[in-house]
Amino acid sequence: MAEERLLEIDNVTKLFGGLAALKEVSFTVSPGEIKAIIGPNGAGKTTLFDVLTGILRPTSGTVLLKGQGTVGLRPDQITAMGMIRTFQTIKLFEGMTVLENAMVGCHSRTGSGFLATGLRLPASRREEARIHEEAMGVLKDVGLERRALEVGTNLPYGQQRMLELARALASRPEILLLDEPAAGLNQYETGELSALLSRFRERGITILIVEHDMGLVMDISDEVVVLDYGEVIARGAPEVVQNDPKVIEAYLGIEAD
Amino acid sequence: MEYWEFHVGRADRRQRALLVGSAVFVGLVIAATLISKGSTGFQWIVSGITVGSIYALIAMGFSVIYSSTRVINFAQGEFSMLGGMLMYSLSTRGGLPPWLGFIFSVLIVTAIGAALERLTIHPMRDQSVITIIIITIGIAIALRAVAKWIWGTDPVKIASFSGDSPIRFLGAAVVPQSFWVFGFAIVVVILVFLFFNRTLLGKGMRAAATNSDAASLVGVSSSTSSLIAWTIAAAVGAAAGIVIAPINFAGYNFGIMLGLKGFTAAVLGGLGSAPGAVVGGLVLGVLETITAGVFPSGYKDAVAFLILILVLLIRPQGLLGRAEDVKV
Amino acid sequence: MSDPMKAGKTALGGGKEYRTLLIFAVAVFIVPAWATFIPGDVLHMDIVNIMVFAGIYSCVVIGLNLLVGYAGQISLGHAAFFGVGAYTTAILCTRFSWFPTWLGVLAGVLLAGAIGWLVGVPVLRLKGHYLAMATLGLGEIAFILFTQLKWLTGGTIGVPQGLNVSVAEIPSLSVFGFRFDTDIKFFFLAWGIVVLLMLLNINIIKSRVGRGLRALHSSEVAADAMGVDTARYKTRVFVLSAMFAGLGGALFAHFQRYINPESFVFSVSILFITMVVVGGMGNLWGGIVGVIVLTFLPSVIQALPQWIPGIPESLTNFSNYSLVLYGILLILFMMFMPQGIAAGLSRGLAFTQKRGRRLRDRFEARKYEGH
Ligand SMILES: Nc1ncnc2c1ncn2[C@@H]1O[C@H](COP(=O)(O)OP(=O)(O)OP(=O)(O)O)[C@@H](O)[C@H]1O
Ligand SMILES: [Mg+2]
Repeated sequence: MAEERLLEIDNVTKLFGGLAALKEVSFTVSPGEIKAIIGPNGAGKTTLFDVLTGILRPTSGTVLLKGQGTVGLRPDQITAMGMIRTFQTIKLFEGMTVLENAMVGCHSRTGSGFLATGLRLPASRREEARIHEEAMGVLKDVGLERRALEVGTNLPYGQQRMLELARALASRPEILLLDEPAAGLNQYETGELSALLSRFRERGITILIVEHDMGLVMDISDEVVVLDYGEVIARGAPEVVQNDPKVIEAYLGIEAD
Repeated sequence: MEYWEFHVGRADRRQRALLVGSAVFVGLVIAATLISKGSTGFQWIVSGITVGSIYALIAMGFSVIYSSTRVINFAQGEFSMLGGMLMYSLSTRGGLPPWLGFIFSVLIVTAIGAALERLTIHPMRDQSVITIIIITIGIAIALRAVAKWIWGTDPVKIASFSGDSPIRFLGAAVVPQSFWVFGFAIVVVILVFLFFNRTLLGKGMRAAATNSDAASLVGVSSSTSSLIAWTIAAAVGAAAGIVIAPINFAGYNFGIMLGLKGFTAAVLGGLGSAPGAVVGGLVLGVLETITAGVFPSGYKDAVAFLILILVLLIRPQGLLGRAEDVKV
Repeated sequence: MSDPMKAGKTALGGGKEYRTLLIFAVAVFIVPAWATFIPGDVLHMDIVNIMVFAGIYSCVVIGLNLLVGYAGQISLGHAAFFGVGAYTTAILCTRFSWFPTWLGVLAGVLLAGAIGWLVGVPVLRLKGHYLAMATLGLGEIAFILFTQLKWLTGGTIGVPQGLNVSVAEIPSLSVFGFRFDTDIKFFFLAWGIVVLLMLLNINIIKSRVGRGLRALHSSEVAADAMGVDTARYKTRVFVLSAMFAGLGGALFAHFQRYINPESFVFSVSILFITMVVVGGMGNLWGGIVGVIVLTFLPSVIQALPQWIPGIPESLTNFSNYSLVLYGILLILFMMFMPQGIAAGLSRGLAFTQKRGRRLRDRFEARKYEGH
């Protein structure tokens, strides 16, 4: 069965000086699936996302998004190809309203520049109206539409995470990379997040999620990849991985520290 | 703080090539000067080494603060300016014996440096880079203006430490003060190097710049670290200003040039590296004097800025520095 | 609570900002009306003349605020672009007496923009302190060139005296045969341009581009990841600010009628930054507020003894301590009022409005109780 591949990660290695944050990591993501990446602290999960989104350049290896190589592309080019991320440490834009934060997410699909916006050309005004409408749309999706005019960084923590999600969603991604979206959420909020992610999947958005909350991982993911010291040590269905002795050792080994 | 450093990540081989290339370039320039100009050329190079030691000294001030707080102090050159001017007031005009004038001048500037750190930098330590930059610029121009108020606009001359009769050396004339500058630079560089690499406090301060948790394990908070760094930098800067004043004169507006040249030397050698500061200072000094000899002297300062900008663009970690990866 | 849907829509049109701009324009344009009728010995300053300089500086500082306040990229060398604009038109219009002055201004703007682009593409890869030092170095190089390229710039003497040309001063600006050769005429020209630049500024800030700039200021990584081409944005905003500075410089040359390198030294770059900081970094009106405050400051201080008897004359020699003042202002504003005067003003305005509304509500309530 020749599987269709949305994202192919092939032999990616990232060295920081002497430290190998990623060692020959390879796996693929198929359209429509939810894949989870788990692993102890410092395993290289965030580094992998940084490499995938073009923030870091891998020391070696290739990444193919929809069959096209992304290594060497700028982050904004990769975003425009349909892959976008959220951040483990929330990075909302300071001083901008909830709505404006979401509007920035529309950047990759719009194009008015200095001249068009400066002179308020009709095309840019139309585009501006469209951005506004779509941003309100994604805010509604995550339940933040009533807070649209508040400053984003003033929201409670859980809602800031939702706003990061909405901002990423505004780019209409094909694949969404979520870096610990449930970190700091209470049980109720985690439940809502889980429902939200399922809804995204129904809409056809593929999701690659880094998460420590095993409940959530078990709940939503089709497959789990386990990273430890930058290496893939296991992969497979959630229940299988959970009982893999190597995985247990990796986690216990860390906990014993 | 993000993207804190610079985009680096080129192959090691290219960096080495660049390093060797620039060494060869400097060597060629020196050789060409010697061959085409003979003893005049040698004179230029000797003066260049003196000037370079001056820059190396000032670069040390930048390095100390940068190593421990990752701040570039735009007022660093002003500390040297103040040192020279105070020396003038205390010794040349006030009649204090030079060694006493030296000590008092350095103490006063050191106190000013420490006070400025506590009053302006410390309260703002968590603010953005741009805030800190603007504050240190504010300090720089305020100090400069105060100096203009006190001492007026005319540059002043300070007596050399040990006479003015030049010493002949392979056909070049060297004023004795040059040896003071050179010796002083070497002593300061060694002391700073030992401090940051051999003492617990120094190592802790370096750690405090990048990882305050690790530093507090050693018992250095980033707050104390910053205060100590500013104190040392002010003292080094002031002392440098005094030692070079007999060669360079001293004037209220000399700080900015000294600061820029010192910074260029620091960046050229690798910001935060003590040996790098010496290499950077000497290379800059020699290239600058040679340029001043060959081209109209008005362009002398442009050389330094050109070097600064080129180094920042091509090799921001300096000739001897190590590449750091982007920190997200 | 206002409806976000609607509120967003008006923000999109920048409705409130346009109204403020209109009020501002009216307030500025009536300045000559009252200023010329007050006898000179009451104010002890030539308001219209000072306002012309304020208008010229506003061009520069509005652009610089876009760069520093909004995009978060510092430049300590903007006096260089101010100088490029000034020298370009000054040299063209004095060397070639037939050269149309408006074309000289245009050439100045374009050359400043072109140099901004050449310099900006490489230099803006630097961040923070490194960018600050590099722009400072570029400013110094420009100053050295202004002084050293004597055949072109007239050296320290400047244009036109330092050049071997027949004209005694830089010609006044004329557009379609209309000569802006008095303070009043130039006042309307300069502030007309400032209003247009503000319009452009508002439109940019209240749009996709403005959001991109603010995003890049807040977090370059996040902006990159959200699809903002940060490198291109930085270059563009740098070029735009260079062109605004070039425009200011060109106007400066045609108003002052002679120029020399002194007007483009490092401390002028610092003055521009101080204006941005004092007015309000990242505030739409910050640039203009900062310019007006700092341009009037010297004259106000000079006039103090005439207004209030008993103030020692020695205090009034502003050039003695202007730099100390700028330095201290920079430090104090960054520490205690990082949003600048403009933010304080708008907060004060909002406060009085709220007060007014509350008073009215109470009044209405009282009326209701009375029934
Ligand atoms: N810019 C950098 N420079 C040097 N080392 C880095 C850098 N970024 C990450 N590292 C190191 O790489 C390793 C992997 O870090 P990474 O943040 O990817 O881990 P993670 O799996 O996301 O951990 P966590 O669960 O804590 O988020 C760590 O040892 C980290 O210290
Ligand atoms: Mg992580």
